[in-house]
Amino acid sequence: MRLSNPRYGFFLNLPGLLIVLLWVIFPAFLLFYTSFLRYDNVHPIIFNGLGNYQKVLDDRLFWIGVKQIVIFSIGTTALTFFGGLIIALCLSAITKAGGLFRSLMIVPWAVPAVVSGIIWKWMFNPDFGVVSDLLMKVGLISKPLSIYGDPNLAMLGVIIADTWTRIPFMGIILLAAFLSIPSILHEAAKVDGAGAFERFLFVDLPLVKGPLLVGLLITTIFSFRTIDIIIPLTAGGPGRSTYVLGYYVWDQITKTLNFGMGAASGMFLFFITAAIAGIFVYYMRK
Amino acid sequence: MRKSFLENRALSYGIAILFLSLMMLPIYWTVVTAFKPDTETYVFPPVYFPKEPTLTPFKLLFESYPFWDYIQNSLILTTVTTAFVTFIGMLAAYGISHYPYRGGHFVLITLLVTRIIPPLSLLIPFYLVVSYLGLVDNVLSMIIANVYLTYPFAVLIMKAFFDSFPRELIDSAIVDGCSRTGALFKIVLPVGAPGIASAAIITFLWTWNEFIYAMVFTSTSQAQPITVGVFDCIGDIFVNWNQMCAGALLATLPGIIFVFVAQKYLIQGLTAGALKS
Repeated sequence: MRLSNPRYGFFLNLPGLLIVLLWVIFPAFLLFYTSFLRYDNVHPIIFNGLGNYQKVLDDRLFWIGVKQIVIFSIGTTALTFFGGLIIALCLSAITKAGGLFRSLMIVPWAVPAVVSGIIWKWMFNPDFGVVSDLLMKVGLISKPLSIYGDPNLAMLGVIIADTWTRIPFMGIILLAAFLSIPSILHEAAKVDGAGAFERFLFVDLPLVKGPLLVGLLITTIFSFRTIDIIIPLTAGGPGRSTYVLGYYVWDQITKTLNFGMGAASGMFLFFITAAIAGIFVYYMRK
Repeated sequence: MRKSFLENRALSYGIAILFLSLMMLPIYWTVVTAFKPDTETYVFPPVYFPKEPTLTPFKLLFESYPFWDYIQNSLILTTVTTAFVTFIGMLAAYGISHYPYRGGHFVLITLLVTRIIPPLSLLIPFYLVVSYLGLVDNVLSMIIANVYLTYPFAVLIMKAFFDSFPRELIDSAIVDGCSRTGALFKIVLPVGAPGIASAAIITFLWTWNEFIYAMVFTSTSQAQPITVGVFDCIGDIFVNWNQMCAGALLATLPGIIFVFVAQKYLIQGLTAGALKS
């Protein structure tokens, strides 16, 4: 009996392979196929060539979605990066109660995204909101603010809510990376006269570059698919100021019921995500 | 040894406590609101420490909405999905890791690419399949969807754990007369248990927290999971915020429990699944 038996591996994998075929390859093909159909749940379904893609590209709302998702994604990823960095640096330096601190750090990750949206809607409530009250107590604003009255504030509001749910993952990745750095490197740099900030810049950062890029990649592509927070929080408003690309796809599926255009815009969402992932992977290889 | 550039430990604790307090504010706010009477909910400036904590919001929530149904649906959905994904995923991960075969590489690449596909993009194909099978508004429809959503990451997590398992141990067991499948169940599984637990817990939470697919696939309380149930409470013109927070708290409870009970597995799983692939 051969110890390493490829045929055994194949049988072991058969169910897994079947799942990949049925659950990924087939739906992906179906998406591709649907995107070429005139499938609007009104007219009979016919082949439509690139018609749906053309219609999506001509749609003003699609481009609003593209613009908002870029702002949203850059804002979320940047804030998540700084938040995750701060908490990971602090937690890598402490020893007592580390487990408790780490648990507290990942709590927002475990909250259902749609529930996060609801919670933040309550926190941002214009009449009884705790955010208004705290900002007034600190003296940053003089009267209660409403994120629903100002497009910029609305975008900032959804970015903050989404960042809140994404900091834990970034924190976990960076914390693991920081903890894997041998402390002897710090000692050596200290002997050479490097200050704290210099050591962070020239010892820590280069060594955590790989995990950092993975964290940024995952945060970026996950923020591109965020709508479960936005649906309860602002529903894309006011005046489409938080109408991200995902919301456009969502509306095609649930509001206009145009599955052809929904599939075509879903393809665009995938293309953009894949392009971003490609850029990150290119830098990781380098 | 200090591992970070932050030399001052007191400062580290200070910043960590301040930062985590801010992060905990939404949770704290949900918890206190869930136990407030109306008189303390709708006031400004808001009440930070309720003077008369009450269970009324929970009572009203269960009276006005079929919340038990939501909880039951969510439990069925997550249990079945987790068991299915963990078992099949475990076999697949073990195969890819220790029995390389021609299709193994293909499966691995597909799983990585799948993580890039936005679930929103595949919503239409899955909806078409589910309605073709006549499963709309049926818990099964969400089990199907969540297998797609959780399977790739579960396999990647378990593969990362199996990769670090010494091959020689399996080989020597087989030489000693153990069957290959016997070696899997008697040797690999006990040692790989943390990885399997990580994958199972993350699968459970992702399925429990899923909203988008459930929202499209279900329309009545005979299939709606808790995330859709909580969202439906918001649908009215006037939102009962203290009831809303009670519902939000119930929907978040499994997550909070796992975070404190199984923090180690969660962190290991998320790190392994993300970095080692």
